[in-house]
Amino acid sequence: MHGEFVWGILIVIYLFTAGLSAGAMVTSNGALLLGGERFDRIARWGALIAPFPIAIGTGMLLVDLGSPLNFYRLFMILQVKSPMSYGSWAILLFTVLSLVYFYLWLPEKLQIWRRPAQYVQWQRFLAKVMPVLAVIVAAYTGVLLNAAGRPLWQTPLLPELFLVSAFSTGVASVILAASLSHTWRARHHEIRVLTIADAVLVILELILFATMALSAQLGTLSQRLAFAQLLDGHYAWMFWFFIVILGLVVPLLMEISEIRGKIPVKWAGSLTIGSSFLVLFGGFFVRYAITYAGQWSGWVH
Amino acid sequence: MAVRMGFVIITSRCIDCDACMVACRAENEVPLGFTRNWVTNKGIAGLFPNVKQMFEPGNCMHCDSPPCVAVCPTGASHKREDGIVLVDDVKCIGCKYCIEACPYDARFPNPDTGKADKCTFCIQRLEQGLQPACVQTCIGKARHSGDLNNPASVVSQLLDIYPARQLLTQAGTGPNIYYIDVPVPEIPAGK
Repeated sequence: MHGEFVWGILIVIYLFTAGLSAGAMVTSNGALLLGGERFDRIARWGALIAPFPIAIGTGMLLVDLGSPLNFYRLFMILQVKSPMSYGSWAILLFTVLSLVYFYLWLPEKLQIWRRPAQYVQWQRFLAKVMPVLAVIVAAYTGVLLNAAGRPLWQTPLLPELFLVSAFSTGVASVILAASLSHTWRARHHEIRVLTIADAVLVILELILFATMALSAQLGTLSQRLAFAQLLDGHYAWMFWFFIVILGLVVPLLMEISEIRGKIPVKWAGSLTIGSSFLVLFGGFFVRYAITYAGQWSGWVH
Repeated sequence: MAVRMGFVIITSRCIDCDACMVACRAENEVPLGFTRNWVTNKGIAGLFPNVKQMFEPGNCMHCDSPPCVAVCPTGASHKREDGIVLVDDVKCIGCKYCIEACPYDARFPNPDTGKADKCTFCIQRLEQGLQPACVQTCIGKARHSGDLNNPASVVSQLLDIYPARQLLTQAGTGPNIYYIDVPVPEIPAGK
């Protein structure tokens, strides 16, 4: 028996960063395959961001292990019933390939080895493979909690929620980097398309949260009490204030006003930066609230 | 039939002396602040003058389909042929996934070893033909252990006579601790 949170802030950081990397990767892949030359700056920014958050996150996972030096045991076996087992393999593959993709997007003067002759074909090939891995990496964080079977984590919508939140934070990180950068500052139409994409994702996330709340009300007593931790329990202030208001509703309103373009030009830049920062902020607390509230609530005997 | 090791706990015989927890700690060197077994106060039930207070001892349920074994990424958590669920410390990386997955909260992260820790059914004692420390020490004879599939065992004998319940059957784990709440005046003889 134990009386405290067994999975803490390190796991929260991992859940957030893995989603962020997957989202940034898909943003880059989509920009390359669907947008081509006109969207090359966001394609580049997604590629440059993608390997690093997840690398930090896996570092956190290692530190969290009780026997960190034993971690290699994860890669001596594939336990098909354990999400953590195939998830570890997926993270490993994703991180290695995202480093290759990162290298292909570096400016030529930074490429230590000679740029491969067919690097464009390589980029396009990886851009078709990576979304599959990215979806696995992002949704897996939800499946991981699903399989632990705690009442709050049992909801079948958790992988979908984490997937949508992952893509949303990934898009937001690309918007943020591409509008702060001097060298590869995103062009107006690039930011506009990303902002529309993120607004759609945020709306989806709101729908998912509402559906989860409704299905918890219709579920077992354990599930209802567990979700009440978020609605009016110990994590209510975080859920309503940090996630719903600051992380979803406010950035959505900002994004809508950006898309409609009815704001003075001098504010547009700060609005873009502000809304994408808030999306990242909210995405972090989605992981935080669900990880902690899930452990706070147990089974009703 | 295959051996299926489990416990029968008679709550009407438990007086909450916690000797099972002390015996387990002494036998298995369980670090302070954590415990492999417990006694839960289930509160007062009934109407005056027929009132009673129920104490519900517990430990790892050595489930038929243990979620801790299913989620373990390295195969460290495993279920033996005789049904006992154990952690192989050599394989355990200390990810704590099994601790999250156990609906009974029967596991804890051992700060001394860095591994997941839990009731081992005192296999070191079973191998010598002894009972688990918590069973041996129980002053009210509330705790009993043995092969649930052997009709001659004490646990089977008890379950033959008295109605029993399991915990959180809705979690689908198939727990192998059976609770008898009715008074049991005499413990039947058995292996």
